[in-house]
Order: sequence, then structure tokens, then C-alpha cells
Amino acid sequence: MGVKDIRTWKPMRILKLTRLLLFLAYLLSKVPHLANVILYVLRPFYEPVKETWLNRKLRYIFLTVGGGLLPADILRAYGYGALAFLENFNRVLKAHRRGEPIIWVEWILNAELIDAFETVSFNNTCLNIFGNFDSMLTPSIMIEEAERQGTPVENCSAMKLDVGALMYKQIPDPYLMITASHPCDTTVSVSQTLEYLTGAPSFIFDMPYWKDELSYEYTERQLWDQIRFLEERLGRKIDWDRFKEGLDRVNKFNFYLGEICEMQRAVPSPGSMINLEFAWAVREINVMSPHALRMAEKLYRAVKKRYEKGKGTVKDEKVRVLLWFPPIAFFMYIFKWMEKEFGAVIVADFIGQVATVQIDTSSKESMIRGLARTQTNLAMGRQCHGPVEYITDEMEWFFEAYQVDCMIFTGHQGCKHGWAAARIIQDICKKRGMPALYLSLDIMDQRYLNEQGIRDEITSFFKSHGWA
Amino acid sequence: MGIMDDTIKKLTSLARGDSNEYLEKAAKQGKKIIGYFCSYVPKEVIHAAGFVPYRMRAVDSGGTTEGDKYFSAINCSFVRHCFHKAIKGDFNFLDGVVFSNGCDHSRRIYDNWRHADLKPDFRHMFVAPHIITHISLDRFKDEVREFKRKLEEHFNVEITEEALRESIRLYNKKRALLADLYESRKQDIIPLRGSELLGIMLAITMMPVEDALSLLEDVKRELAGRQASGKDDIRIYLASGCLEEIDHLELIEECGGAIVADNICFGARHMDMPVDETAAPIEGLAGRYLGHVSCPRMMNDFMRRMEFMHHAINDFSAEAVIAEKLKFCDIWGGEIYLIRQELKKRGVPLLALERELHIPAQGQIRTRLQALFEQIINQRATAVRLDERMIK
Repeated sequence: MGVKDIRTWKPMRILKLTRLLLFLAYLLSKVPHLANVILYVLRPFYEPVKETWLNRKLRYIFLTVGGGLLPADILRAYGYGALAFLENFNRVLKAHRRGEPIIWVEWILNAELIDAFETVSFNNTCLNIFGNFDSMLTPSIMIEEAERQGTPVENCSAMKLDVGALMYKQIPDPYLMITASHPCDTTVSVSQTLEYLTGAPSFIFDMPYWKDELSYEYTERQLWDQIRFLEERLGRKIDWDRFKEGLDRVNKFNFYLGEICEMQRAVPSPGSMINLEFAWAVREINVMSPHALRMAEKLYRAVKKRYEKGKGTVKDEKVRVLLWFPPIAFFMYIFKWMEKEFGAVIVADFIGQVATVQIDTSSKESMIRGLARTQTNLAMGRQCHGPVEYITDEMEWFFEAYQVDCMIFTGHQGCKHGWAAARIIQDICKKRGMPALYLSLDIMDQRYLNEQGIRDEITSFFKSHGWA
Repeated sequence: MGIMDDTIKKLTSLARGDSNEYLEKAAKQGKKIIGYFCSYVPKEVIHAAGFVPYRMRAVDSGGTTEGDKYFSAINCSFVRHCFHKAIKGDFNFLDGVVFSNGCDHSRRIYDNWRHADLKPDFRHMFVAPHIITHISLDRFKDEVREFKRKLEEHFNVEITEEALRESIRLYNKKRALLADLYESRKQDIIPLRGSELLGIMLAITMMPVEDALSLLEDVKRELAGRQASGKDDIRIYLASGCLEEIDHLELIEECGGAIVADNICFGARHMDMPVDETAAPIEGLAGRYLGHVSCPRMMNDFMRRMEFMHHAINDFSAEAVIAEKLKFCDIWGGEIYLIRQELKKRGVPLLALERELHIPAQGQIRTRLQALFEQIINQRATAVRLDERMIK
């Protein structure tokens, strides 16, 4: 593979490299026009689907920030997102160095409560994205290593990668773990493995199947229990004022992103879904950061400016696409690539859509109640934990509300319940006459279908429908 | 073998079909037959309504072709077989089906069943928590109450407290009888083979509990003096999820194994732990169904499952563990990984098998079983030699 043997990697190598590259991205965002010129001029060096020793460390990040195709104001907003990431990684690396507690928080859960204890939270799944900074083959290498050590091959690669990263000390050991029973069986299974391997006590959320008052109450009770767990284990009380301050920021963060989602209903779409994907990653890693809020606000203003002028994210929007099921972590450039190649704009997707509620911060009880509702409605969780209608109703709503021309289903290898719902999704699309491309891939692991393969399948799909 | 083992033979023979005379008789008497998918569904509630709980199965499915139209190739063979049967109409005798969020594969049966609009029209999703805590226990009680209410509403019946208490009493009796059968396998020469016990379990989970009790009494009588294993057979603890293939267990036995204890759906998870008859019925049911030896879907219970296994290994003198999973089962895949780590520490041999339901792949499995058993026979021989040296 041309990448050094994982067993020789220095501990935390990828996180340290990520920190460096994020700082570079932040610097570029300070001079967005110049950055875009540089990124555009350098495109032949990193845009073709070929990773070389020369572009290996930069290809993913350059493509993810648009490869010179993102508007300057959006790029500037990304800079604040990079700062939010940096803030968290700096804390994590510092805590790791000093032997201070680090609490793993599984994706699709709130890290907000951890912040209220002034303790460092770490999203243990983050290398699924940031592992690509090292090389776009690095996630596959960690996954392969986890499989070689006995992790079941059929598990979702997102969590296999966690196991690989833990075994090879690319993520810090947790003091405590916060995990949940959703979105899938792999989480149920691998959470137990991670607890066993690390020996760290876990707090496990049992995510309710339904979305009703009883379910929200159930989550709410568990959140109170989580506070008790953290207070006992950390030996200190929750700081309610800090929690409130943080939630006020989160409310604004969610408001801005929710507004962007709404504006993308316009034809042409004033925003690209990559912005909301980027924001989702920020949310996952460090949503309580003031930098995260600044990013959301800047993104909102940038998209709103275009919306008010009736301008699209591409000059000539030809096709409006719904990307359904999780996005392809190793190919986040898909958004800008489709825009550039086909004038096809992904206007909505599974992850980026913000459907959380505004949290009433007037009392402790209302904050926990609001957090329970937010947690149940976070992307992936809200669609995956219950009956298929939680997936298909939202999908059909997108068809209507976003005037979608076609759908691309990113059928992820680890997603058993997703594939078990594929027939229902197909029937709905057929009935509505909605053209759909069903990709069979692994969103973290290029060994199934690589970037070139995805580009080829999408190109053929567009050609067959006369869009290319 | 004992002289009189007619009931065992009869039950293992019934187990190879998906209906039987007892079920048909109950249906003729006007009793509703309610299918259920998971060992976390409280059967007593169904029984207290005057109905017959029927454990869903893929036995005699004849393939997966119809199921494959709804489920993908990465979904487990149990759901594909089962759905194939449902589409073929094999479950048309059911008056209701209770689905469960047992795993990602099985919970989508509920969705596809509704999408395909298959019979019957009572389709209920019973949601079991993934953790065992005081909060989830309360949630579970609510779920049992909701299940009771739905049955009452749909079928226009009343499930009284007295009826629930009587059902609990009967099912506890059934559990006690099964526990006796299990206990009998502590003997050096076991009176009941694992394959036979699986057959009994399959049969008695598709008939009225009253009939099951009478048949189990007969089985218990037949065990007196019965010898079903050889003296050198290797004693096995079996851990698995959905396992309903009698042939598969017979293969283990043919190779020289004697299954003496288990944690499988049609095994310990069905009979472990009685319902507390002194508690209010719903409380008692919730306590039992959340507290019995768990399936790996319960996220905070691995060490207790291991304790159960270790006790069983000691009590039943098991020499090795066979842990099995169906292909694409995340939950049992992870569990086997953890079991392997724990058994390594304790020096217990483990054979981890992956299989497709009702597709025997007998050659491969036989080879792997033979390898395991040879290893254990060698260990025995070494232990004997060491003992002899010590004596000298």
C-alpha cells in the first residue's frame, strides 16, 4: 500500500498530524481568495484519483475544503470550524500527555454534558474522517488490523476503525466512555468490546425505539442518571451555569444550520451540502466551542447572501440530488466534484440535515428535557433507531420539499438494517418515479469500492439519465 | 437409550415441522395463535389473553428466494428464511405476530412484513431495552403494560390479573420441568442429547403450555435410566443466538460431542429464572425477562453472561465451548471475540463457528469439530499421564 506498517506508528501520530494540517487549513482560511487561487492552481497535483507520496498528506484536506471551488466567505467560515477541531484535539493531546481524564463520547450523542464538568471529551470515531489526513488508505489499514486481531469482519467499519486505532494507540485511552445502543448492532457489539479492551467504565444510553413522550422521558431519566454517573466518577458536581452557557451557544449553532437547511430548499440551492457535512463533523467533535458557533454564523451569512440574491452554489444547477444514507468519509469531495462535473447539487442528505429542537435553558429540568429531545433527533440516530418510516418519511419529505431530481443511496456494507430497508426504499422510489442509484460500498473503507469506482458509477448513472 | 422414549421421539419429530396436532387442536377450539420472535417477549401475557404463543422459526423453509427479495445478501439467513416462509403463506395460521428489536436484521422483519402487507393484521413491535438498569426495568414494565393493552384492544379481550398469575404459574412450572431436564445432563452419562433437547424446545414452543407441561412430565419420566452419550464423549457448552437446526447438533454428537449446557434462544434463555410469583404480575414479568441470562444484545451484561458460562462449565463438567454465530450477525460476532479473550485466560478450549441457517456445510464443520475433539482427547491423555507420574 506504500504506507508504513501500522505497527511502527508512533502513538497519536495521526491526531498530531491532523492538528498540524488543521492549522494549515485555518491559515489558508484567513486569506481565502489567495487560498482558492493556490488550491485551484495546484489541482492537477491532487485532484486526479491518485494518491502519491507527494500529495498523500494534503490530498484529502485540499479536496474536502473544495479544491479551490468553495466561495471565499465559506472558506473563511471553515477556518473557524478548523479552530473548533484544533481546540478539542489540543485539549485531548494535552490531557493525554498529562494523564488527565479523557471521556470518550460515541458519535450521535451529546458531548455537552461532559463540557459542563470541564472535562475533555473525545469522539473516538473521529479518525474515520481525520485518518484520511494521513493517507486515504490509512482508515482501511486500521480497519484491516482490527479484523486481523479478531474484530468481526461484518461489523460496521466505523467502529472497526476505532478498535484498530485503539490497538495501535492512535487514540487516547478513555477514563470513562459514554456510549449508546444506536444507530446499529455494531455499536451495541463494539461498545462492549471497547469497554472490555480499555477497562474504562461505561455509561450506556438505551436509545428508545419510538419518538414519543414516553421515549423522551426515558432518555431524560437516563440523562439525569448520566449526570450522577459523571459526578460519582469525576468526583465533582456539574457546573449548571457553564452548561447553560454552552447550550445557549448550541441553540444558536443549531438555529443557523437549520436555517441553512431551509434555504437549500430554494432553486437554485444557495448552499452546498458539504457545508452542512463539515458543520456536522464540528458538531460531533466540539459543538460547545465558541469557534463552532462563529463557523455556523459565518456559514449562515454566506448562504443567506446568495439566497437573497437568488444565486445558486453553482452557476447552472442542472440536477438536484438527495444523498441518502451516510456520506462517504473518504470521498467528501463528492459534493464539489458533482457540482463541477455535472452541475449536480446535493441539496439534502442523511447527516447534514439539522432537525434538533431549541433547548429551553430556563431551568435545569428544561435543559435536560431539551437535551433528551435533541439527542433523539441527532442525525443518524433519529433515522436509524426505530421503524423504517423514520428513514422513508424523511426521505419522501426531502423529495417534495427540496424538489429533488434523483437519489443516490450510499449502501454501506456494515449497515444491516439499512440494507434490510432497501427494498422498501426502492419501492417508494419506483412508485414516485424517482431515479435512484444504489451504491454498494463501504463509507470508510476503500477496499469495497474506491473513489474512482464511485465516480464511474455516478457518471454512468447521470449519463443514463441524460444529465451528463 | 432407555426403553421408553416415545415422547422424546415424538417431540423431536414434531420439531421438524412448523405446526402440530396440539396447535391445530387449539386453533380449532378457537384459540388465537400469536407468533413471537424473541426470548424477551413475555409469553405469559399472550397466554393470559387465552391465546397460544408460537415461537417463530425458519424450520422447513425450503429456501430464501422470497425473503431475498426483501432482505439483502448481508442480512442474516434466519430473517431471510423466515420471511420466505411468511411470503409463502406458511404462517397464515397465525392470528398475530409480535416482532422485536432484538437485532437490526430482525427488527426490519416488522417493517418488511408491513410493507408486504402479509397476514395477520395484528402486528406488534415489542421493544426490549438494551441495558439492565433500574430505569430500563421501569421502561420494560411500561412495555409489558402496553403489549397487554394492545392485545386487549385488538382482540377485544380482558387480561385479568388472575389470568396473568395463572399463566405465570404455568410457565414457571414449565421452566422448572425444563430445568430438571437440563440438570439431568450433569450426570456422567447424559440421559438426553443436546439435539433431542433442542427438538423438545422447538416443539414445546409451538403448542399450548398445558400440553407442553404434560409432555415434559412424560419426557422426565422417560429419562430414568436412559443413557444418551458415550462415556468418552466430550462435554460441550454451546453459546449461540438463533440455532434451530437439530441436524447441526446431531453432527456435533456424531463427532463425539455431548452438549451439556448452553446459552441459546431455544435453550437456557427460554427457561432460565422463574417469574417472581409473589410480585405484581407485570413487575414480576419485567424482572424475569430483563433479568434472565442475557443475549449479547444486552450491552452491560457481558461479565454476567461469562459468569453464567463459567458456572455451567463447572457444574456440568464441560470441557470445551462451541460458540456459534450466523453470518452477518454483529452481535454474536462481538460476543465471540470477547468469549475468546475470557476463555483464553481460563484455559478452556473454544471452537468458534460461523454458519448459514439450514445450509449445513457439514464437511467443513465436521473437520473443525474433529480438530477440537482431538485436541481435547490429547489433553485428557496428557492429564492422565501426568497423574500417573504423580502417583509414581
